[in-house]
Amino acid sequence: MDVLNGWWDDYFWGAVIVAKVFIASLSLMIIFGLLGAAAKLSDNRLAQKIGGAYTVIFRGTPEILVILLLYFGSAIALTALVQLFNPEVRFVDVPPFWAGTIAIALIVGSYATETFRGAFLGVNPGSIEAARALGMSPLQTFFYIRIPEMWRIALPPFGNHMLSLIKDTALISIIGLNETMFVAKQAITVTGKPFTMYIVVGLIYLGFSTIITLTVMGIEKYGNRTTVGAQ
Amino acid sequence: MSDNPTRPLIEMAAVSKFFGDFQALRNIDLVVHKGERIVVCGPSGSGKSTLIRCINRLEKHNEGIITIDGIELTDKVADIDAVRREVGMVFQSFNLFPHMSIIKNLMIAQQLVRKTPKKEAREIAMHYLQRVKIPEQAEKYPIQLSGGQQQRVAIARALCMKPKIILFDEPTSALDPEMINEVLDVMVDLADEGMTMICVTHEMGFARSVADRIIFMDEGEIIEQASPADFFDNPENERTSAFLDQILKH
Ligand SMILES: Nc1ncnc2c1ncn2[C@@H]1O[C@H](COP(=O)(O)OP(=O)(O)OP(=O)(O)O)[C@@H](O)[C@H]1O
Ligand SMILES: [Mg+2]
Repeated sequence: MDVLNGWWDDYFWGAVIVAKVFIASLSLMIIFGLLGAAAKLSDNRLAQKIGGAYTVIFRGTPEILVILLLYFGSAIALTALVQLFNPEVRFVDVPPFWAGTIAIALIVGSYATETFRGAFLGVNPGSIEAARALGMSPLQTFFYIRIPEMWRIALPPFGNHMLSLIKDTALISIIGLNETMFVAKQAITVTGKPFTMYIVVGLIYLGFSTIITLTVMGIEKYGNRTTVGAQ
Repeated sequence: MSDNPTRPLIEMAAVSKFFGDFQALRNIDLVVHKGERIVVCGPSGSGKSTLIRCINRLEKHNEGIITIDGIELTDKVADIDAVRREVGMVFQSFNLFPHMSIIKNLMIAQQLVRKTPKKEAREIAMHYLQRVKIPEQAEKYPIQLSGGQQQRVAIARALCMKPKIILFDEPTSALDPEMINEVLDVMVDLADEGMTMICVTHEMGFARSVADRIIFMDEGEIIEQASPADFFDNPENERTSAFLDQILKH
């Protein structure tokens, strides 16, 4: 284990970056997922098409390619934009943190659209009617009836999306983000011990996944107390 | 809304309802006065649910005029809200809110719609839970109750809003036979207290003993309206007799 000496720091900060990417991409993923679901559920044909195309494109391309294309594509676009105002500029760097975060949020968000859409449609229409018949407004019905019923339906698949997200953070090393995978590659060039270095990465991810799984299980248990709760 | 004793609570004049090209209600004329107990029956698809769902605007009628306690139902949201505050509804499939405890099911609309303070809403809720004889279930969740208990909660939930009219859409047809009577008993109590009710049901014993008037529908039309005695013993229309033969056979 001596080979790891001197690398713990880098792994720690790599793990911090993983956590940051996870939190940022989780927030974005929820927004993309909800927007996509809203588009698919809307009466507007164009919105439906855009929602559908979003899913098809991001589900149908390798994740690593999405990250690369988004990183280099946004760099090119941004450079062109900046050059409009200042032709002296040769190249604008896009921060890999944000390019990677947005890329994996878009990828996993495309799956989340279906989860959110299904949860929306899964709410018992009878509950909605009962609320309306009791005189509750559409907005009250949405917040007090639809949302609480929806998240209980969405939670189990949503937990899987969170696991996908955390695992996808490992891909962002390819565009130079110094997360744990990146640290491992550096450590390997110095020490020549790939197995050891990668196993550390594996354990870190297993730690993150365990936390996520336990959290989701806890929330599920809270949500299910109404359906299978104490008799 | 001044209380005018002679004004009908429900007035439907030449009401028609279409689903696309399909006409679900044809020229419905119906007047219901305060305290009247109406039973609606008829074959499946005859428009019974559609009729009562137009009364609280869960369905929007296309032609004719519906006036509830002096308020005409139009697209005006304030009027629809006002009508829904006066009209309670009980569904075949109970439709309790699954994520709320029984007591919350009874409090939520009081708090949000009537703006009743929480404490008072809880008291009202407990009062009506007692009336339907299940106060001990207050903290449970709907799934933990039997069908008959859930339907009694649904009735209590409607009563908490102090409606002037209650609509029942086949309230016992999703229940196991042994639970039908506990729900019918609650409905009989309500009738005895003078609640105005319109009840879609095929419980002919209930209809005979409780109804002031029975309405028979077929193909979106009201075919016959009569007192229970006339309805069961001298139906005027052939379709009514055929229907009665059908359901009284069992
Ligand atoms: N939302 C809807 N869209 C299209 N058609 C509908 C809709 N709701 C009802 N209908 C049709 O209108 C007709 C009357 O339906 P309704 O539910 O009022 O009948 P019902 O008398 O209550 O029947 P049941 O005894 O089966 O409950 C039926 O033919 C039904 O298929
Ligand atoms: Mg019906």
